[in-house]
Amino acid sequence: MDQRTRDQIHYLILKTHSLTGLIPVGAFLVLHFSINSLRTVGVWPYQISIDIINNLPFLMWIEVGFIIIPILFHSLVGFYIYFSGKPNPFRYNYPHNWMYTLQRISGAIIFVFLVYHLATTVVPKIWYGNIQFAAAPYLIDIMNQEFKTWDGRIIYAVGIIAATFHFSSGLWGFCVSWGLLIGRRAQRNAGYVFALFGLVLAIMGLATVLEFSLHPVGVEATQPG
Amino acid sequence: MNKKIVKLKIKRRDKPDAKAYWQEFTIPYKERLNVIACLQDIQRNPTTQSGESVNPVTWDCNCLEEVCGSCTMLVNGKVRQACTALIDSLEQPVILEPMSKFPVVRDLQVDRSRMFENLKKVKAWVDIDGTHDIGEGPLMSDKVRAQRYALSECMSCGCCLEACPQFSLTNNFMGAATFSQVRLFNLHPSGSMLKEERLEAVMGEGGITDCGNAQVCVEVCPKSIPLTESIADIGRQTTLQTLKNIFMK
Repeated sequence: MDQRTRDQIHYLILKTHSLTGLIPVGAFLVLHFSINSLRTVGVWPYQISIDIINNLPFLMWIEVGFIIIPILFHSLVGFYIYFSGKPNPFRYNYPHNWMYTLQRISGAIIFVFLVYHLATTVVPKIWYGNIQFAAAPYLIDIMNQEFKTWDGRIIYAVGIIAATFHFSSGLWGFCVSWGLLIGRRAQRNAGYVFALFGLVLAIMGLATVLEFSLHPVGVEATQPG
Repeated sequence: MNKKIVKLKIKRRDKPDAKAYWQEFTIPYKERLNVIACLQDIQRNPTTQSGESVNPVTWDCNCLEEVCGSCTMLVNGKVRQACTALIDSLEQPVILEPMSKFPVVRDLQVDRSRMFENLKKVKAWVDIDGTHDIGEGPLMSDKVRAQRYALSECMSCGCCLEACPQFSLTNNFMGAATFSQVRLFNLHPSGSMLKEERLEAVMGEGGITDCGNAQVCVEVCPKSIPLTESIADIGRQTTLQTLKNIFMK
């Protein structure tokens, strides 16, 4: 492969890495948090939403094509980026330099969390064939068990905070890298907006954890018809 | 602080691949000393604090008014020009080190030719020569003139690269200074004729996508050049160029 081709591939991969953080990975994160937050309203609307998702046509293809592959791509390129830089926030102690450092650390935390999260939810769900209407009671039971212990609560709180930070800070990074935010004032003001957005997402996520911890309620599978 | 003497601790290296070592020097205090004046004092009488006679410390400097960038080094751990590093405002002992992201030539001298090579790669000039008289170029608005003036103040000192977490001695990242020059010459009405070639040069390994938005560059730039705006603007220009390459060619 000649250098020109290598350069073009490198450029496109990194530019795409930034974009996949927003679409579809970030978009999925927002959807995931929004639907889960239904649990704070009641277990019934929460179960309906799980039923709808688990009865979607081509669910496996959606999960693989729009969630698993983009996350794997974003993670792999992310680890390449992680090892390509050498953070120096103690020597050059500026807010954005800390954001740069935390963006890398949070990315690594999320990766570990996602392995745990998938291995304890989606993987056993598919392995034991709890699909369609059987998914909701199975998954809700797993989460009820998870949030009975402080270990589970802390693991999820860390994962939620890391993910919302990484997404809102990455949203800002995407806007700068793709050239949507150029001026210093524009970058600063958008930073506040994205920080607020991240905060709202984090509260949504933590409220869901709180509701699960305070009121663990099991459900019966919905009977169609 | 003892006003009678100035203590300096200098990281030295005899030749490019030799091992670095530290030496301490004490010189008499004078009012309004800068780091360069201290180094000149050591040069006159190169004796360490412990009385050992050594080779004089070597360094680069030229203008002594922070416009040439050649005396850039780490002063108390942070990158800056030694000529404007005033002893009265520094903690002692004053620790001097060569820049860590460029190959050391000797003592405090480094080889920054990588920056020049990058400027060549991005064609940081305005083509005005032809085989015949190509006439006058288009006019430039005063707004663009003012914008370009700020960018043209870059003296290739390398502070932005030294402080950048993405720039290292071994990778090929171009860094803020280079991207800002791409913006400078793309803003020029005649210079913009090479715009696509400049953008292609930063759309690869070591190019604009390798920026991690740590924004330390703009914090340490002695000329207060809006480097992060330049990076975002080159981000926009390369995005548009990509769309053009994919959908319009």
